[in-house]
Amino acid sequence: MKWTPLVATAAFLTMLTVPPAFADKLDDIIASGVLRCAVVLDFPPMGSRDTSNNPIGFDVDTCNDLAKALGVTPEYVETPFPDRIPALVSGRADVGVASTSDTLERAKTIGFSIPYFAFTNVVLTRTDAGIETYDDLKGKKLGSVAGTFEAILLEDDMKTWGSSSTFQGFQAQADVFQALSQGQIDATVVTSTVAFATVNSGNFTNLKVSGDAPYPVDYVSLIGLRQEYGLLNYLNLFVNHQIRSGRYQELYNKWVGEGAAPNLLIPGSYY
Amino acid sequence: MFHTAVSANDLWFLAQGAGWTLLITLIAMVGGTVLGVVFGVTRAVLPGWTTLPLGFLLDIFRSVPLLIQLILANSFIPILGLRATPFAVSCVVLALYTSAYCAEIVRGGVLAVPQTTRRAARSLGLTWWQDMTEIVYPMALRVMLPSWIGLTLGVMKDTALVGWIGVIELLKSSQILITRMQNEPLFILMIAGLIYFLISFPISRLGARLERRFREND
Amino acid sequence: MFNYTFHWRPALNALPQMLQGALVTLQIAVLSMVIGIAVGVVLSVFSSSRNKLLYGIYATWVEVARNTPALFQIYMAYFGLGQLGIRLDSFLALLVGITFNNAGYLAETFRGGLRAVPQTQTRAARSLGFNAYEAFTLIVLPQMFRAVFHPMTNQMVWAILMTSLGVVVGLNSDLTGVTQDLNVRTFRTFEYFAIAAVLYYLIAKVVTLGARLIAWRLFRY
Repeated sequence: MKWTPLVATAAFLTMLTVPPAFADKLDDIIASGVLRCAVVLDFPPMGSRDTSNNPIGFDVDTCNDLAKALGVTPEYVETPFPDRIPALVSGRADVGVASTSDTLERAKTIGFSIPYFAFTNVVLTRTDAGIETYDDLKGKKLGSVAGTFEAILLEDDMKTWGSSSTFQGFQAQADVFQALSQGQIDATVVTSTVAFATVNSGNFTNLKVSGDAPYPVDYVSLIGLRQEYGLLNYLNLFVNHQIRSGRYQELYNKWVGEGAAPNLLIPGSYY
Repeated sequence: MFHTAVSANDLWFLAQGAGWTLLITLIAMVGGTVLGVVFGVTRAVLPGWTTLPLGFLLDIFRSVPLLIQLILANSFIPILGLRATPFAVSCVVLALYTSAYCAEIVRGGVLAVPQTTRRAARSLGLTWWQDMTEIVYPMALRVMLPSWIGLTLGVMKDTALVGWIGVIELLKSSQILITRMQNEPLFILMIAGLIYFLISFPISRLGARLERRFREND
Repeated sequence: MFNYTFHWRPALNALPQMLQGALVTLQIAVLSMVIGIAVGVVLSVFSSSRNKLLYGIYATWVEVARNTPALFQIYMAYFGLGQLGIRLDSFLALLVGITFNNAGYLAETFRGGLRAVPQTQTRAARSLGFNAYEAFTLIVLPQMFRAVFHPMTNQMVWAILMTSLGVVVGLNSDLTGVTQDLNVRTFRTFEYFAIAAVLYYLIAKVVTLGARLIAWRLFRY
């Protein structure tokens, strides 16, 4: 019959494109023996590279712990901030351990675990820029990583200021620090943990922290595909275990510093 | 005294990036040339209107920025329910992209062979296939080769864009080093640029020399 | 097969913003071509200079522009020059990077074009009383531009494609920048970039057609 090759081709294409639907992501990870974590490596102390260019940091260790709990080997997929969610959606990574703020807009695309860390935001500026507080940002050249929690809040505030300040959205955190240090921008808003680590790294001698940004606490979560309930459920329990076993506190002291790790309870709320 | 934090380890890291750059270039050129020859010969020998759809399709690859092509492919493959590594996506997109340019080169080369020569060959009893392989191929090759070398260099440089979808090639590996040693972007970029130059320059010289030699013989 | 639901409506709602971006794209491409042509002509004149310095400038420029990636050149214009204290904003850095690239390629094109203009033309012009400058600009250049018009059109299309790289140095007003900004807020990557691809295609076609029209007006006998 005339149509046979066509039907055969169609059947073959269908075979190619439909993945087996029986196992969910969690099964796939365990079966493959590898956990591919999307990590951001220009965000010390959460993620960076050591002198042999191997990934290190709080997020990297968290990924290692998660892989260990699952009984698999961790593999790191480096993603700049704007690429975290595309990396998950395009199947390059299984989970994101990448300081991802749990915004409602993002939750339309991906699924969040309960928070595994919390940040507050500060103003990072150059020593010669004459910026002492958040209010001084009016009329200045500002920049941040496009699409992040703090970038969206900063851009919203800039709209209400209505002055001549400009905003540049970069594609990587490292580019923001670079541009700030070189003078293409005057200030940025960034999480305090990272701001202090960057100032103390000795890479930049002309940067300083100038006060807090009046933003709500920035809770960050592990991320997985929106429809992978089995995996998201596992991630929730994993975060819970990290905290109750004291590992969360231990990693905080290892990467961030002395003192108590941020409280992850949202006051007056369930999670 | 010039002081830098770049170590031998880091240079090795860059060299590995350069290795990926070369590998992707190689795969894209092989795939793109095979496809390009098929498309180009088809466009040259069939009557114009029958190959309009193919021409239109290839034109798209030449009129949309490669960066956008990579992003689109990278986001479309999971929509289809397929899985591919960034490396595979890069190779496929670059091969198609290369084929679009290669097709034009091949078409130009085939059409540059005078009709009279080909008719003479056929009237001497050569078959169509013999005419293509014995007459058209050697004559078109001299027209095509310099442009083809130019295309190879172009593709090698265009591989710098695959860093965007997550392949750690030469330029991306230099950016990773800059992230760690943020006070010397210029020096690290210069090293990366020098490596590109060292790969590209000898080939471009070779291309220029071939072009000159072919012209002398005309 | 399609586990993915396309959200075209919000993407199409962003069309006015993206068209605005397309204008910026065109603006950068045109500017980089105009400056690139001017610099390219100067470089092609340097190429036949006996002055070692001028020839050196020509050779270095052309070889670096043609043997390193455009993305590298744009990166250099932003972060490389930045380290030397030359601070360009994203728009300027992209413009400088593309113009540098254009000028390098165009210089080689022009050099070939100049060779295509017979020496006798200059000699004839000089013997008719033109001085060297007039002979070059009034007699040689117009003939050269006719010879290289097609490769110049190609370079213009290249310039448009290259503007998409501005996003790596923080440009968010051109077509790719606007698209990426929308993408990082909503992560509907395919929808937004598909629209961007169509717009780029249309820009490239309009420019090619426009160039053909100009060629037809300028170069017919």
